[in-house]
Amino acid sequence: MSQSGFASVDLGRGLTLPNPVGLASGTAGYGFELEQLIDINRIGALYTKGTTVRARDGNPPPRVAETGGGMLNSIGLQNPGVDVVAADYAPRWRGWTIPIIVNIAGGSIEDYVHCATVLEPVAEIAGIELNISCPNIAQGLDFGRDPDAAARLVAAVRTVTERCVIVKLSPNVTDIAAIARAVEDAGADAVSAVNTYIGRKIHRASGRSVLPLGTGGLSGPAIQPLALAAVAAVGDAVHIPVIGVGGIVDAASARDFLIVGASAVQVGTATFVNPETALQVLDGLRAD
Amino acid sequence: MTADLSRASLETGEVLMVERLGGGLLELVARLPHLAATAMPGTFAQLRCGAGTTPLLRRPFSVAWTQDDTCGFVFEAVGAGTRLLAELQPGDPLDTLGPLGHGFTVVDSGTVVCVSGGLGCAPFPLLINELRRRGVEDILVLNGARTATRLYPAERFARPAVPVVAEATDDGTRGHHGPVTELLGQALASHVSALYACGPNPMLGAVMRTLVESGTELPPTLEASLEAPMGCGFGTCLGCALPVRGEDGSAAWRLCCTDGPVMAMREVDWEGLSTLPGADVA
Repeated sequence: MSQSGFASVDLGRGLTLPNPVGLASGTAGYGFELEQLIDINRIGALYTKGTTVRARDGNPPPRVAETGGGMLNSIGLQNPGVDVVAADYAPRWRGWTIPIIVNIAGGSIEDYVHCATVLEPVAEIAGIELNISCPNIAQGLDFGRDPDAAARLVAAVRTVTERCVIVKLSPNVTDIAAIARAVEDAGADAVSAVNTYIGRKIHRASGRSVLPLGTGGLSGPAIQPLALAAVAAVGDAVHIPVIGVGGIVDAASARDFLIVGASAVQVGTATFVNPETALQVLDGLRAD
Repeated sequence: MTADLSRASLETGEVLMVERLGGGLLELVARLPHLAATAMPGTFAQLRCGAGTTPLLRRPFSVAWTQDDTCGFVFEAVGAGTRLLAELQPGDPLDTLGPLGHGFTVVDSGTVVCVSGGLGCAPFPLLINELRRRGVEDILVLNGARTATRLYPAERFARPAVPVVAEATDDGTRGHHGPVTELLGQALASHVSALYACGPNPMLGAVMRTLVESGTELPPTLEASLEAPMGCGFGTCLGCALPVRGEDGSAAWRLCCTDGPVMAMREVDWEGLSTLPGADVA
């Protein structure tokens, strides 16, 4: 693949990513830590931490637990709230060339519409990713499991934003392709797949679940084959761009997603292990 | 309140040795010029354990000491990650990210007490070295462990001159028979300008309780290095939350990795912390 042909990804509504490798929501915060560790502007997109109407303190600890080839998390959408993101964080993104895609989450259609409305006039924001699939908050999965509810949500957000709207799909469903088709029909510009898989870990000395809510979201290389299957199914079902995410640790595991039809990828948990992973993926893909 | 990560860097060093200290304590020594030059007392490094994807996450370790371009880490082989570290041979690469975290507020005068429980010894050699560099000579170390063989050797808390080390063991095999907190009374008899503590979270809670119950004035600088299951170590995963109390009594979470690991003991919600599972659980 030539470097120029490789370079950009058109997600629609004027959002063109400079390259296909992004930082996944929940693994890069709002970029302010990673900016100090890596050349963040070389990366194709930053998908922010899930952002809600009001600030959320997050779940009680322990919030993370390591598993074979992966980790469970139950952060509980700790975030400062959309007003802080729009008023305080956005000015700090001025001068960054990496497209900032704000991931928004909520418990009702009104929550999502409110967040999208607040973000709409903010020039530093390139797009919105709808988190309809967080497994760690009450009602966090309702929109992700029901094609009709997902479609209503996307249609409502569509009425208040001209920005590119990406819908992040849950893998914790029977038929992910049906959800993908529903959000495409409702006006989504792209979909990202997948969010974390619901998982559980038992502390063997006590017989109790390690995470206080019992379950959490599984991420890391352990889920890469599962995510690949989901992305392939979604790619077969829709005509809009698909962004592959789940267990990418290097260029080879990212390339798998491009092979099954993804237009772009997101690097998630691997950034925790090595903040430079996304850059290494990018350089590896460029060398193809 | 974004963490200052300006000194943090990925660095692949070279293992010089893994020394068996007895009782299961291990000291990993590696040539890490960047970390050695930039680590401040109480900061930590995230060490990669093996090159594969299991164990996946790095493990956080206090920088125990630095000398020229070399760093030491004290640990115990208790899990999949630390067992891999224990097997490292001289010449092996060591993949690190650091220094990370908020370290100790190092005072430059007065009497200083360091309270160590078990592997809580880890940050003290670097701290004591810095205290001495600043002219603090009156340093008392209270060192506790389950049994004598698990006491970090007194002479390693500072080189060359060893500070005064009072020891306590749960089983009475050396020093005071009982928890290290029972040594606090004599330490607090004189005015203390700073008390630093590190150990399992319940032990740190006991230190705070003992201080409060003693009725003596709390040291102006009163800090503990805490632990929590950690994902990234640099403030993005939000996994290592610890409970704190604001001045108005309101509860909040702070991140062990970037708000800590060293926190003001007055701000920690010790009661809330005591209800949480230990860091070993995850």
